[in-house]
Parts: sequence; structure tokens; C-alpha cells
Amino acid sequence: MTRLAVIAVALCLLVAAIIVGASWGTISFSPATIVSALLHPHAQNDASIVLWSLRLPRVAIAALVGAALATAGLLMQDLLGNPLIDPYLTGTSAGAALAIAVAIAFGVPPALYSAIALCASLATTLLVAALSRTGTGLSVERMIVAGIALSSLFAGLTTLVILWSPSASVSLSILAWLGGSLAGHGWRDLGWATLYAACGLGLALTTIPALNALRLGTRRAQALGVDLDRTRWIVVVSACMLTSAAVSVSGVIGFVGLMVPHIVRGAVGHDVRWSLAAALPVGAIVLILADTFARSAMPPTEIPLGILLSLLGVPAFLYLASRRPKTA
Amino acid sequence: MIDARDLTLAYGSNIVLRDVSMRLSDGELLAIIGPNGAGKSTLLRALGGMHAPLHGSIAVNGKAVSQMNPQERARRLALIEVDTAPVTNLTVREAVAQGRLPHRPWWRWNELPEDEAIIDEALERAQLADRSERSLDALSSGERQRVWVALALAQRAPSLLFDEPTTHLDLGHAMHILSLLRDLADEGTTVVIVLHDLNVAAAHADRIALVGQSTLLACDVPERVFQEELLSAAYGAPIIVRREEGMTLAFARPPRRKGDPR
Repeated sequence: MTRLAVIAVALCLLVAAIIVGASWGTISFSPATIVSALLHPHAQNDASIVLWSLRLPRVAIAALVGAALATAGLLMQDLLGNPLIDPYLTGTSAGAALAIAVAIAFGVPPALYSAIALCASLATTLLVAALSRTGTGLSVERMIVAGIALSSLFAGLTTLVILWSPSASVSLSILAWLGGSLAGHGWRDLGWATLYAACGLGLALTTIPALNALRLGTRRAQALGVDLDRTRWIVVVSACMLTSAAVSVSGVIGFVGLMVPHIVRGAVGHDVRWSLAAALPVGAIVLILADTFARSAMPPTEIPLGILLSLLGVPAFLYLASRRPKTA
Repeated sequence: MIDARDLTLAYGSNIVLRDVSMRLSDGELLAIIGPNGAGKSTLLRALGGMHAPLHGSIAVNGKAVSQMNPQERARRLALIEVDTAPVTNLTVREAVAQGRLPHRPWWRWNELPEDEAIIDEALERAQLADRSERSLDALSSGERQRVWVALALAQRAPSLLFDEPTTHLDLGHAMHILSLLRDLADEGTTVVIVLHDLNVAAAHADRIALVGQSTLLACDVPERVFQEELLSAAYGAPIIVRREEGMTLAFARPPRRKGDPR
């Protein structure tokens, strides 16, 4: 199958995933009802209200989070030439998790969580980048070490906040956020996160030729006129913006950023132009389907999305990795 | 044309070469020789604009390399370094196509038809046209060296600098690469190569730059550089020079064995 055909199939599957995500849930609607509700957004019937105020924003957020995390993971892996890199490597999630844990413990209104998560994850990444600076550039090794070290520090502090929290309900709220969930977010959150992710994606697009040249190794890429320092900064900032946008509306959802780049490279190859084009819809599909399952498998209980993805994703990933060792 | 003046090259406070001046004309093939650790590759990197000199200046056709942005530098200077980092998941054509990168604005991701024609020609000249869809990991060392030559050809830079183009190659493949570089020089490209084999350097280069003792000891035609005292001092070993059938040859004097006549 040609690469263009793979992307076309991915886009068709994305449409199918959106329909599945909109139809399935605690209350199921027939496809005809869904189509009618889609065509009449202001109708005052159950289907229109559920669809337009609950499911569609949630499906849209899932699509955004999946696409953003997959893209961020792909960018960081291609920049560092390491397929085991996760977009949370730079401490993005750990910083946000600590900030949210503190916010919950101090009774900050939930409406502010997205903004807090966004600021904290961005601040953490900038701190990691500052610790990794060498003259005008960024040291990849230092960045990995600083990211892992700060993540451990923040994870320890988050646990401390949970243990010292004033009540069990506060601890549970923090744990629920850490588990990753798309519940309780609406169109407004989506607007901000989309804007932020779009800026990150726009920045990332400017680095595609440089990332492709980096497949030849850093020295050869530099000889071909790639400004390595500039490319590193742009990719780190854009991956951080994408990840922060996702973390702000979903909490910590692991694995998508690690797994989806592997899947798309297996399908369209390592050319960043194609793998990025495929990562966007594939990331969205994975998260829409996972979220639909998380909220409709055991009603009325919702399985935390981050945990569900780990449970389903790890075996799938190990299977893929063992089947295709050369693409790893 | 490359004009290097009063170069001092260093890594931190460790000075590798000092007082290096040389001027390379269009269509000239210069070979840099010298013992291990003398600074041959550092000099090549500096001439290619990838190692900023501590002192001195390098200009290409009158413009200082330090004033060029990376893309402009890559349009004027093609540098192929010894890079041991493995390159995987890339076909020969994809690798060679990267040579067009310095000629593309950042917003254009695809090659234009004229780029495709240049890539095809580069593959043809490096005798890789029939292997263009092969993965780089499936190539022999000789074929991989040819990929880097094709990449530099696709770059269409008026100066080509190549670190150890014949390392790991058998005689046949080495000769093919060297005659390709010779042809490029004859067509007007300035070619600078780092070589370990003195006789190969003498046979193919117009001039030889001998580095050693932290400086440029000589930069002249092979006959003038190949002086026994000069080479012996540079390499720290006794070297004999012979001139036969129009060729200048240098050998390390073998140590005396037990039983050899005195």
C-alpha cells in the first residue's frame, strides 16, 4: 500500500472512530438519531443535548490529545534519534501533576486546572531546557538526565502531597487526575488547548526538512546546513506545547506518544513528512476509541484512560516490538 | 576558491594547529596528509566551516565563512566527514536527496523536478543508479562511501571536502572514488581530501598539505613535499623517498631484522 493510501485509510478510520465515539456511551443512540442530532445542534431532545454538550466535545478533546501526544512523541524521537523517547521525558507530566496535586489539596476551583497544568508543564520543560543548555545549544544527554531527575523529584513530591492531603476525597481526586481522564471538559477547554497545540504543530512543521536530514546523523545534517541548535530548541518547544496542551485537558495519559510513532513508522516509513501526517489521525483514532471504551465498558464507572491505555497498550506494543525488531 | 589565513585551530585551550595559511584555486585537488592526531580532520572541518578557528579567517570566493548562515555555507562547501554513527531506515535515493536541502527554502518539503534530475545524475556518477532503492544498511562499505560522494554531488557545491575517502576500501573501489574526485576537480570543483596513504596522495593530488608538529609543515606539489627529512620529521619515523617512472613514492624504512646484512 502506498503511503498516500495509508493516510487516506487513516482518515477514513478517524471518521469511523468519531462516529463510534459519538454513538457509544452509557446511553446508546441509533445511527439515524445521531445523524439527526448532528444536523440539528439546537434541538431540545436528549440525543442533541448529549451529543453536542457531552460526547462531541469529549471526542474532539480525545482527538486533540491523541494527535498532540503522538506528534510530540514522534518529534522528540526523531530529534534524539531514539525510538524509546516519550514526550513526557522532559518532565512535562510530572510538573503538571505536582501543580494539580497542590491545587486540589488547596481547594483551587476545578475550572482552573487546565490553565494550571498548562503553565506547570511549560515551566517544567523550560527548566529542563535551561538545565540542558550548553552555550547557545541544548545537550541531549543533559536533557534526558535533567528530565528524568526532575520527573522523579516531582513524582516524589506529588506522592507526599497525596499522603499529607487533608482528606481521603482530596487524595482520590488527585489520583483520578493522575490516572488520566477526559471527563468534565467542554468546548471552552478545547478551544484553548487547540490553539496551543496548533501553535506547537505550526512550529514543528518548520523543522521537518531538518528532522529528515538528521536521519543521516547530526554531523552530516550540520554539513547540509541544518542549524542544530535552532532545530533542537524549536522541536523541544513545539513538543512541549503539544504535550502541555494534552496534559491540560487529559491529565497524564502515557503510552500514546511512545506507541503511535512506532505504529506509523511501520506503515509509512521513517520519512518525517509522512510519519507526521500519519501520526495525527492515528493518535486521534487510538485515543477516541480508548476513551469510548473507558467510559462505556463498565457503566456508570469510568476506567481511568491513562491506566486503560497502559493495560491495553503495553501488551500490544510488546507484540509489535517483537514482530518488527528492525523498525524499533 | 578557498582562502585560509593565519589559522589557529583548537579544542578549548588545547591548540591543535597554528599559523596555517593556504589558498586553493578552482579545479585544484589538495590532499592533506600527516600523522595521527596532527589535526588533518580538524583542518578539513575548519575549511568546511564546521570548526570555528580560534584566530584567523577562511573565505570562499571572497566571502568569510564565519559570515555565512549554515544553509549558504552548505551551498558553497560540501563536507563529508568520517561518521561512525549508523544510518538505518533510509534508502540510497532518500539519503542522496538530502543533498538538495541547502537549496530549498524551509517551507518546501519536496524536491522539484530539477532537483530530481540532479539527484539522478549524482546517483549515476557514483554508480549507484541501480541501487537507489536499497536500504543503506544493506550496502557494503565501498557502496556507502559512494553514497556520501553522491550526496555531495547532489549538493552541487563548488568546493568538496572529504575526510578519508578511501578508508575501508579495497584498491579497486578506492581508485574509483579517487578518479571520480579527480574528474570533479578537472571540471572546476575545488577538492580537498584527507588521506593516510602518502603514495595515493602523490598520485592523485595537485598539491599536498603536510601537517605535523602542530603546524602546516609544507603545502606544495608532491615532488617538493616528498623530502626524506621533512616526512621523517613529520611522522617521527625514517621514511625513504624514491622517484621512479615519473612517480614519487615514499616508504617507511623497515626495522633491521636479525641476520640482515649490515
